Amino acid sequence: MRKRLVSALLAAVMVSGAFTGCGKTEERVNEDGESVITVWSPSDEPAIEEWWVEKIEEFNQAHEGEIELRREAIVRADSYAYEDKVNAAITSNDLPDILYVDGPNVSIYAANEVTLPLDDIFSEEEWNDFFDSSKQQNTYDGKIYAVGATESSVALYYNKDLLDQAGISIPESKEDAWTWSEYYEAAKKLTKDGVVGTNIIMDKGEGLSYVLEQFWISNGTDFVNEDGSSADGYLNSPEGVEAAKFLNSLIQDGYANIDPIQKEFHNGKAATMLGGSWEVATLEKDYPDLNWGVTYFPVADGDGVLTSPTGDWAASVTKDVQDMDAAREVMRFLFSEDNVTTYAQAISKPPTRVSSYDVLDEYNEYPRSIFKEQLMETGHPRPRTPSYSVLTAEFAEAMLNIFTGVDPQEALDAAAETTDKDYKKYYAND
Amino acid sequence: MQKSVNKASERKAAYIFILPAVVLLAAFLIYPSLQTIRYAFTDYNIMRPDRIVFCGLNNFVELFQDADFWIAVKNTLYFTVLVVPFQTVIALALALLISSRRRGVSIFRAAYFSPQVTSMVVVAILWTVMYNSSPDSGLLNALLVNLGLEPCGFLNDPDTAMNSIIFMSAWQGAGYQMMIFLAGLQGISPEQYEAASIDGAGKIASFFYVTLPGLKNVIQYVVMITVIQAMKLFTQPYVMTKGGPQNSTRTLVYYIYEQGFQKRNFGYACAVAAIFFVIVISLSLGMKKIIKAD
Amino acid sequence: MTKKKTLGNVAFYLGNTLIALIFVSPLIWMISSSLKPEAEIFKGLNTLATFIPKAASLNNYVEVFERINMWKFIGNSLFYVLVIILLDLLVNSICGYALAKFEFKGKGLLLTLVISLMVFPAEAIMLPMYREMADLGWINSWASLIVPFVAKCFSIYMFRQFFMDIPDELLEAAAIDGCGPVRTFFKVVMPISGTVYATIFILDFVAHWNDFMWPLLVVTGEEKRTIQLAIQTFFGSKPINYGPIMASLTISAIPMLIMFIFLQKYYVEGIASTGIKG
Repeated sequence: MRKRLVSALLAAVMVSGAFTGCGKTEERVNEDGESVITVWSPSDEPAIEEWWVEKIEEFNQAHEGEIELRREAIVRADSYAYEDKVNAAITSNDLPDILYVDGPNVSIYAANEVTLPLDDIFSEEEWNDFFDSSKQQNTYDGKIYAVGATESSVALYYNKDLLDQAGISIPESKEDAWTWSEYYEAAKKLTKDGVVGTNIIMDKGEGLSYVLEQFWISNGTDFVNEDGSSADGYLNSPEGVEAAKFLNSLIQDGYANIDPIQKEFHNGKAATMLGGSWEVATLEKDYPDLNWGVTYFPVADGDGVLTSPTGDWAASVTKDVQDMDAAREVMRFLFSEDNVTTYAQAISKPPTRVSSYDVLDEYNEYPRSIFKEQLMETGHPRPRTPSYSVLTAEFAEAMLNIFTGVDPQEALDAAAETTDKDYKKYYAND
Repeated sequence: MQKSVNKASERKAAYIFILPAVVLLAAFLIYPSLQTIRYAFTDYNIMRPDRIVFCGLNNFVELFQDADFWIAVKNTLYFTVLVVPFQTVIALALALLISSRRRGVSIFRAAYFSPQVTSMVVVAILWTVMYNSSPDSGLLNALLVNLGLEPCGFLNDPDTAMNSIIFMSAWQGAGYQMMIFLAGLQGISPEQYEAASIDGAGKIASFFYVTLPGLKNVIQYVVMITVIQAMKLFTQPYVMTKGGPQNSTRTLVYYIYEQGFQKRNFGYACAVAAIFFVIVISLSLGMKKIIKAD
Repeated sequence: MTKKKTLGNVAFYLGNTLIALIFVSPLIWMISSSLKPEAEIFKGLNTLATFIPKAASLNNYVEVFERINMWKFIGNSLFYVLVIILLDLLVNSICGYALAKFEFKGKGLLLTLVISLMVFPAEAIMLPMYREMADLGWINSWASLIVPFVAKCFSIYMFRQFFMDIPDELLEAAAIDGCGPVRTFFKVVMPISGTVYATIFILDFVAHWNDFMWPLLVVTGEEKRTIQLAIQTFFGSKPINYGPIMASLTISAIPMLIMFIFLQKYYVEGIASTGIKG
């Protein structure tokens, strides 16, 4: 009696499972004959979730009978969770029509033919409205594979009180941006009384590549070559090693913590920090007692190139799409002038369209003006290479190794080697 | 007559009893594991499921020459050899500490179990603070400096990172083993303790002559699963050190995840997984033989 | 005599309290942080003051419930975890029992298999498992969250070890009374194994409640989103707000603690629980 119960229970679970799960691959056409376009984008703040609900309704009403737009919010944790999920969906051909990806990953998906070129969704004139940095980020092998509505930037935040006390002055224009030597000297002066001069470790993952690559660029090199096929001779070039040595000197000499506690700068434990554009909102809201300012990203000594980090999520169209025309309609809608502006506003990030800045006044005022200036004039996106996930992981590991005593040339050589090995293995023959 | 009828119905019952588990294990554990092993012989790039090419033993040849792989093996074994006795002894001690009939024992039980209930996120944040290499922010280093000693790099020093993780893991995992020991202590009847004390045995003697033998099966189980769980260490390196510094905390499962998901080298990752299976299965079956001989 | 007892009591409570504080401090820190405003959470981390909120408030909790549909996600997690465990306790205990007390062909093989399979880490077989779910059409269904995890080698092995300790005399007595093997198990063995069942219940509950990777892969959207997935959404946007994170983590810890307390009665010392009197 019991055993029959058990097997019946089991069968019931399996059968019910099969029914509830039946045919759960992405639906491309609904019962009304409309083309279904599904978007996957990260789960976010309520303001953004509302934006999506509003815009989806707006679109669907305007396209009744033709297209139905749907969105699935994917959990995006702090590290690689989102990509794990996309990877899984690739194996079962279950990708959505439109997939949001993190900026530097655009090239990976493009090179692996997971996403499709999008050059023709906007006219040349329309493309001109988008920031170069954003377009660059989303271009691989000469074609555009994604469109983004927002950008990000990193600049040097400073504690006014501490700098005044130490008698250190702040650059007024980007031409006066601190050189590495000036940055080092300032950090040295500011390190005292339990406060550390600066914070260069945003986090120990992507944050390292995101922020620190600019030191390579400023010094006249980069992580990889133009087409992303080779890191050797770039990541580990003499200029690169110099950059690494400079960063390491801040850590070794005690002017920056290798293990910064969260909100080190906000709590007055670090006098300066290389922080993201989003920190402005946090400082304004949660730390009103802190007397802070923000200035330009530091530049290499001598002929240093003026540069700053950029990069944010962008939407691409995947290979599993069936109705490309419908997808195109959706993309043009999501990234119209109006919608880029409202999206950027909802998420409090700088928009990618020049025209949006006519509407969003706050970027014309300090401190946000610094980020706008950097984005428009000195922004450099991260490398476009299909081996990016290897590159960034190797770089992070190399830097942490250098910070704990490994010879910079050695560490960077190893990182370049592994990156190139990955490229040769999977992409060299394409 | 009675016996043979029992034997037959016993065998029939046995097959019915094991059927659901066996079916589920075959479908959802054995089958995917075989797939993993199958992929070990291919050059599967996780983003190109349409381009899976058989490549024979290439992955295996590569991994035997891969220094990182051998370092991961070494780290994992080192971790296991140290954490298993350490954690097991702590767990047993905790269980004995609270296997008393005094009031409030359940509160202590909950306290010792609480690291299991506390999210790894919180644990990671706090232990990073504990272990912070700067005496201004790190609790342990502040203590060391106060005692006139040199600050320690803990998680930032390749020589001490793994030990730091061992200590933290033992702290976190002891509650798990403790619960199992508590269940085991239940099974030892109080008469045995009474008999022992009548014979003149003190607390320590009755521990060795009543408690330990009574816990034999349980200890076997606990050691076995702790070894296996230790060999599978993933979360702490993933959340706290990403395998560094200088490869000192890279464990095998972390290496598998890194290669397979982050670096998209899925075929290679499966090869590492296959070797991992072999290593750990040999270890556990070897242990089983030793324990049986006991 | 009384003096010795009191000394013993003092030692017991003092020692346990000190050690307990070490173990429970992160949990306390988490709860305390959840009651603090954002800016205070990381202030003064290496002082004792960090354990006590200066002006405790429930703001973070309000924000969590306003921002995400917490009740739904708690409900989802409760549902699938409890179903896993109930099936788990049934399926694995009978298998463990057979391995402990029955003689049958293939017994040794099965035991070896069970021990060997304990070795397989989820991270290594996750992708093939996912593909299997896709092939079965189970993506985004309860089945994919539940069915693969019902049979567990750790549980089977643990049940086996515990059942091995049950004296054969007890079983023979039941047989003489006319019970078949099935009845013996359900009427005689199960009732005296409360502690084992409770232990596996709580250990599996904690493991599944905290699981993040697998639900991330097989669940899309909000319908079946679990509590761990929901908490991770707080990590997605920059800047990361730790106040709501601590609050949601505290909320997440509560069901586990409730389960734990609820199962305490199976740990109460006593002759009754073993019933070994023949």
